[in-house]
Amino acid sequence: MTRSPIVLTASNIRKSFGTREVLAGVSLDARAGDVISILGGSGSGKSTFLRCLNLLEVPDSGEIKVGDVQAPLTRDRKGRTVIADHRAAARMRSQTAMVFQGFNLWAHMTVLENVIEAPLRVQKRDRAEVCATAEALLERVGMSAFANAYPQRLSGGQQQRVAIARALATNPKVILFDEPTSALDPERVRDVLALMRSIATEGCTMIVVTHEMAFAREVSTSVIHLANGVIESSGPPAHMFGPDASPAFRAFLSPAS
Amino acid sequence: MTDLSLLGFGADGWGRLLLAGCALTIELSLSSMAIGTVLGGLLAWARLRGPLPVRAFAAGYGIVLRGVPELLVILLLYFGLPSLIVAVWAAMGWSAPGLPPAFLIGSIAIGLVSAAYQAEVFRGGVAAIAVGQLEAARASGMTGLLSFRRILIPQVVRVTLPALGNIWQFNLKDSALVSVIGLAELMRISLVGAGSTRLPFLFFAAAIVLYLAMTTVSDAVFRALDRALDRGRAEVQR
Amino acid sequence: MTEDRFLLTIIGQLLAAAPVTLLILLVSAVLATLLAGVLTACAASGSRVLRLLSAGWTFLFRGTPLILQIFMVYYGLAMLPWIRQGPLWFAFRNPIFCSCLAMTCCCSAYIGEVFRGAMKAVPIGGIEAGRACGMSRFQLLRRVIMPALTRIALPSYSNEVIMMVKSTSLASTVTVMDITGVAQGIISKTYRTLEVFLCAAALYLLLNAVLTAAFGLWARRLHIARRTSAR
Repeated sequence: MTRSPIVLTASNIRKSFGTREVLAGVSLDARAGDVISILGGSGSGKSTFLRCLNLLEVPDSGEIKVGDVQAPLTRDRKGRTVIADHRAAARMRSQTAMVFQGFNLWAHMTVLENVIEAPLRVQKRDRAEVCATAEALLERVGMSAFANAYPQRLSGGQQQRVAIARALATNPKVILFDEPTSALDPERVRDVLALMRSIATEGCTMIVVTHEMAFAREVSTSVIHLANGVIESSGPPAHMFGPDASPAFRAFLSPAS
Repeated sequence: MTDLSLLGFGADGWGRLLLAGCALTIELSLSSMAIGTVLGGLLAWARLRGPLPVRAFAAGYGIVLRGVPELLVILLLYFGLPSLIVAVWAAMGWSAPGLPPAFLIGSIAIGLVSAAYQAEVFRGGVAAIAVGQLEAARASGMTGLLSFRRILIPQVVRVTLPALGNIWQFNLKDSALVSVIGLAELMRISLVGAGSTRLPFLFFAAAIVLYLAMTTVSDAVFRALDRALDRGRAEVQR
Repeated sequence: MTEDRFLLTIIGQLLAAAPVTLLILLVSAVLATLLAGVLTACAASGSRVLRLLSAGWTFLFRGTPLILQIFMVYYGLAMLPWIRQGPLWFAFRNPIFCSCLAMTCCCSAYIGEVFRGAMKAVPIGGIEAGRACGMSRFQLLRRVIMPALTRIALPSYSNEVIMMVKSTSLASTVTVMDITGVAQGIISKTYRTLEVFLCAAALYLLLNAVLTAAFGLWARRLHIARRTSAR
């Protein structure tokens, strides 16, 4: 059986903030259709790692490749790693999409305009096609009634659903989710998680940093436990949530009483 | 190009005169600031608590004196105040008074304008203070005057201090406008010196340096005040 | 009867001077805004020299009175041989030019502060979202940063421009016959201080009202779009 192609590779990512080493060599391969959940305590580096994957943070060392585009990194005169070619970085980013904890919808644009912005102006697709796609996506996430509303009018859960539509609109190779439900109240969490599940079943490649264990267990194809800046353990959910999981991960799942 | 000793303190030197001009500038700014604070406080109170005609007057005052150039206000008082005083004196049957000094006219003019801005600042400051503060004061048995003095004023001062620092800087710079009615503050001295020695660049450059010194010192003073007031608050919160 | 005629004459003379005031205001406002943009860009740049220049400019022009700056440009610069013999001497002899120049430099410092404050308030989340979907830096600037910046800066910017109306009156101190200059002339000839003051003040207040309304319209145009709901 042929395995699906690798859409994103991260090799040996290291990142320090000042003297604090947050990532001490993390690697990951994501194949098309994978749903990878990254779990870990606060300060374990999970958000930092995710943000390195689309170069919102620049790793101190390591390589990242999305599709066939290598992250253009180099060292500046002071030895720090910087982006060598901003246009290439933008091109790399246009093949990924990110859903933020704080939604980050553009406040001066309507819901519809938020969704069409990147496909239209970054990917330079045809306007009619982009609008049709956007409307279909808003329908999909249940927000078509709000197409002409501004984000301030929407609740957190509604904004996050729009953010997911915005992410899907660019046909990304992989969608990065940075704690997408942490800023929502419990009922909204359910709605957004349900949406993420249905996207997963459609074969979307997703890398999700989350605290939602049920999602990690039931929807992921693999689970990564990050601790102290390294991958402590990883594997399919059946293994990770089963009795053979590493003691450290079991301790993480059920905090010591 | 020019003889810098002209700025010095020797026989030909204008240094002493320039510094005297600085002193007068500061005095003028202080008195106009004081007038502005008292009048501005009254106007703010009028807009917050007064009956409708008083509120309307205070609002109108603010619009007019923030919208009309300060130069016009100075001219109004300079040309108009003497005749007004003469008329009032005559109506009272007193003998004709002398002309009011330029310092007084300048202070009142700048003070009237400053009051309009300070009123806005005080209004905003009072509005920013949580209603609960005064309710707690009343609940603990404080009279109106006591809660005004012990609760409202201290908090208003803390909140409005940065804005008042800004207004002080404007007062300082507006004092230069009073030079047009002949008051011997810094701007006027530098003008006179420039005319007398035919070296305007030198004297205006000296004035620029002196004004920068005054605004820099003022800035430092207000920031120190701000820190001093804030220190208490941070400690309480801990 | 003569009273009304007198008032009408005053108003007529003041109105005739209004174009001068407007000219100084518009020229200075436009140029100061552009210059403020440059200053803000310098203040945010990576080059230490540019940052220092921007801070120094702001310090100089916000720390000294505008009247002194006008006098310096009109009288002070005339002293310098390379100005007097330079190609632009005809301009530097013109009091309106000098007033505009001084006002441009002075107000650019204040407007620059408004822009700098607004830049700090632009929500970083929107910028990250823009970067995350692959926007180039230019697209980010044009589609995300500038719209947010404009909306945040507009109230303070309108205040600055309306305060510039008052600053134009300082041109009268260097012989410009703007509204204040004409008013002063009438007062010193007729000593009808209160009437002249009221007419001149009314003109300035009218100008303020028009500007306030115009900015209000602009603000509403930026915001009305944001208030529309889907229903």
